[in-house]
Amino acid sequence: MNIRARLVVFGLVAALLLSTLGLKNASAADLTDEQMARISANCLTIKGSLNQLHASDALLRVNRGQIYESMGTKLMNNFNGRLGSNGLDNKGLTAVTESYQTALTTFRTNYQTYERQLSATIKLDCGKDPSGFHDAIEDARTKRAKVHTDVLRLHQYIDDYRSAINDFMLNFERVTGKN
Amino acid sequence: MDEHDQTPDVVVKAEPAGRFRDEHRFLLLIIGTIFIAIIMVIVSLVMYNVSGSAQLDLSRPGYKSVSDKVDRSNEITDYSAFGPVNKDTVKEFTTLYDEQAKKAKAVDAFNGDPLNPEVLEFSDPLSSTE
Repeated sequence: MNIRARLVVFGLVAALLLSTLGLKNASAADLTDEQMARISANCLTIKGSLNQLHASDALLRVNRGQIYESMGTKLMNNFNGRLGSNGLDNKGLTAVTESYQTALTTFRTNYQTYERQLSATIKLDCGKDPSGFHDAIEDARTKRAKVHTDVLRLHQYIDDYRSAINDFMLNFERVTGKN
Repeated sequence: MDEHDQTPDVVVKAEPAGRFRDEHRFLLLIIGTIFIAIIMVIVSLVMYNVSGSAQLDLSRPGYKSVSDKVDRSNEITDYSAFGPVNKDTVKEFTTLYDEQAKKAKAVDAFNGDPLNPEVLEFSDPLSSTE
């Protein structure tokens, strides 16, 4: 029984090691020798492009972030507050605002993760480890795509809030008799 | 007998330490101050990095080319959270909101695929032509 348990543990460890090695080889296998050589040869040029992207994305994050933050704090929250202080039904608008704030938090977090990955990639020595560099770029690419998805989600919530205002107005006019 | 033997030892050991502290009080104050300052700097740097402020700080090295391109003209007017609600005030809000929504959606930020191997020019020419 004891030996059997040891064999099971050994088998599990071996399977884990093999799968890890297999995954590593699979990602390295995606890259041909020619690609690896090209990465090593164009290392500086690629890093230059990554540095430019790093800076332009940071600027984009600052400028877009300001607008997204202001829309939530200066417009949505204040309008919801005004409706609430007048005893009007603002549930629909508050729900959209909450979703918007959650999406904004996700956008902030995902951008942070992406920026860290891109910074780490830039610091890698692509001349010595083209395969690792390639994997790091792929990882940053996936993370950047997530940030873009977050931006689209924010745009969707901005539209949803506008629709919620229309719904509120219809209800408001009905209740107050088109005042 | 043992107690009498041990007591003078304790006194002898305690005195130089107290004397050292008294004689170097100013030096100890300086060292303590520097130590506290170092700890506070470390804590603030960790907070600066963990909170995400570092990512928004365009005065860092590497961002000089874009630091002057921050849009400072786009100040959104606050909509007051207090006041009456009627058709006019809602219209005032929707005008303000539509204007900002248009600006927010004007840029499809982080679109495209600049990290694509083909864009970075290290893709396999054979696989890209296939």
